[in-house]
Amino acid sequence: MRNVWAETGNYKTDYRQDSSIFATRLEQLSLIGFLLALFLLPLFLSRTQMFVADLIVIYALAVLGLNIITGYAGLINIGQAAFMGVGAYTAALLAPGLPFWLTIPIGGLVAALAGAVVGIPSLRIKHLYLAIATLAFQVIFEWIVGHSPLLKQGGAIPMPRVVFLGYRVGYKNHYYFWYFVALVVLILLAFAFRNLLRTRFGRALVAVRDNDRAADAMGMHPGLTKIFAFALGAFYAGVAGGLYAYFSRAVVIEDYMLPVSIKFLAMAIVGGLGSLPGSFFGPAFLVLLDLNMEDFANWMKRLGLSYAGVDIASAMRPLTFGLVIVLFLVFEPRGLANWWRLVRNYFKNWPFRY
Amino acid sequence: MAQLEVENVTLVFGGLAALSAVSLEVEEGELVSIIGPNGAGKTSLLNCISGFYHPTRGRIRFEGHDLTHASPHTATRYGIARAFQNIELFSGLTVLENLLLARYTHLGYGLAAASVYYGRAQEAEVRARALVEEVIDFMELEPYRKAPVGNLPYGVRKRVEVARALALEPKLLLLDEPMAGMTLEEKEDMVRFILDVRSERGTTIVLIEHDLGVVMDISDRVYVLDFGEVIASGPPREVAENPRVLEAYVGGEA
Ligand SMILES: Nc1ncnc2c1ncn2[C@@H]1O[C@H](COP(=O)(O)OP(=O)(O)OP(=O)(O)O)[C@@H](O)[C@H]1O
Ligand SMILES: [Mg+2]
Repeated sequence: MRNVWAETGNYKTDYRQDSSIFATRLEQLSLIGFLLALFLLPLFLSRTQMFVADLIVIYALAVLGLNIITGYAGLINIGQAAFMGVGAYTAALLAPGLPFWLTIPIGGLVAALAGAVVGIPSLRIKHLYLAIATLAFQVIFEWIVGHSPLLKQGGAIPMPRVVFLGYRVGYKNHYYFWYFVALVVLILLAFAFRNLLRTRFGRALVAVRDNDRAADAMGMHPGLTKIFAFALGAFYAGVAGGLYAYFSRAVVIEDYMLPVSIKFLAMAIVGGLGSLPGSFFGPAFLVLLDLNMEDFANWMKRLGLSYAGVDIASAMRPLTFGLVIVLFLVFEPRGLANWWRLVRNYFKNWPFRY
Repeated sequence: MAQLEVENVTLVFGGLAALSAVSLEVEEGELVSIIGPNGAGKTSLLNCISGFYHPTRGRIRFEGHDLTHASPHTATRYGIARAFQNIELFSGLTVLENLLLARYTHLGYGLAAASVYYGRAQEAEVRARALVEEVIDFMELEPYRKAPVGNLPYGVRKRVEVARALALEPKLLLLDEPMAGMTLEEKEDMVRFILDVRSERGTTIVLIEHDLGVVMDISDRVYVLDFGEVIASGPPREVAENPRVLEAYVGGEA
């Protein structure tokens, strides 16, 4: 009889099963267990630790969006933070009048529109030139915010505390509340994208990355497909931006500027470009690394280390950040997702090694 | 009215004419071959028909649609499929995924159905998969189903090209040297596939091929191109005896 719990080979019998998401029921169970653990996590974390957890979940959503554009559709995007900013500012402007469960999705839609507009040049230009178009968008976004009195010229726009189903979110439960909201949103949007990948839309993204001409010959419009990729990835960023706005209690331009876009690219690379789980590994790894380096730097500061007037401690964070990216590019360009793949394959055949 | 009509097509690249006043007609269900020395303009002609190039002068019509300025995806949607001379596959994807991409326009479900997957999208995908499996069966690609195309041997990739074109369920199939660089055995297989497509599906086929033996064997009619001009056309036997053709071949390839 077929053992659905551990299939040490490919025993799928029809096409429906073959394109199902999970190879085995064991894998299905592990995922449910993992998700459950994520929901129970707040029981074990302090308020400051929750701050970090929120940050990772929200960044993961933005990086997932970046992965859609850059990893799957192969369009380099140096403006993901600006798309996030579009969502955040939209939410900030609407928040006084509308509940968060409307402002955040609307922010996503406005960002998607911005993404579609930024994607228009892809009808004509490719590769590096297109990357410059996304960089231009980042710069224009910063300029507009910086010159717009409505947006406080980039200064802090406070976000209201929210009330949800009669439940007031205040100082104590703030990070817990937004953790659950962001986690639910991330899980829903990640599943939606995982579903898309099994359909004509997901395959079309990869098709325009691999071969434009052939994609055209398959009957799809390569340019429109790229615009779709930009809109979809920007939607994810916009939703992440709305969440970030509420989570950080204010919208400030610094959170959506060029260095953040670069940070997202680094997270996508370290996690693994074109990998869905990689979109979670990358942000988790780099956020935690950064935090540990901060602790380490503070510890060094107390020792009073400095060399030729350079404050080594404060240089530690950017240095390790850069070093880690270079190491990944050189030694594991497929990112942490590749390690994950190896572990998974090992367990797929476990306990039978051969 | 013929299914495909190419009327006086001229194609100029930087002052040089790759095609000059080429006219060609293909009836539904016909197998027409285009031969000619290297650089004669055969691929350029296919590029014009499939929308990759646009003629400088002249007209192209397919089943009454004007294709002169159409883009490749428009030509595909009218029912024209093509296997490229220089393999143009999605090299990072598997054979199966490459063929499923050919079902892109046939899969009608929208974005919402796709993000939920279960229901409409899944049903359509299962049907597409069944059709693609038929093509895989037909082209004898079963062993490579889940293999990334980039790693497959040349002969197999050529076969995947043809299979992907077939998965589009075209009315007109354009094959640009599908047997080039193949072993004798692989060539024989390909000839068999082409003849089977024709007899089983009644697909119109335009074939570019250098192997004159094959061309003379299987074509209904042959067009001979030389320096961008049609120098002869007609049933294989007539064309083979045409003095201009003999001259072009001796002059072109000697
Ligand atoms: N995109 C292009 N730009 C400039 N010249 C081109 C282009 N495409 C084709 N040509 C020229 O047009 C002429 C015909 O080329 P084409 O590829 O159609 O020949 P062919 O008959 O398919 O040859 P082969 O048997 O080698 O495949 C050649 O001289 C080629 O250099
Ligand atoms: Mg050619």
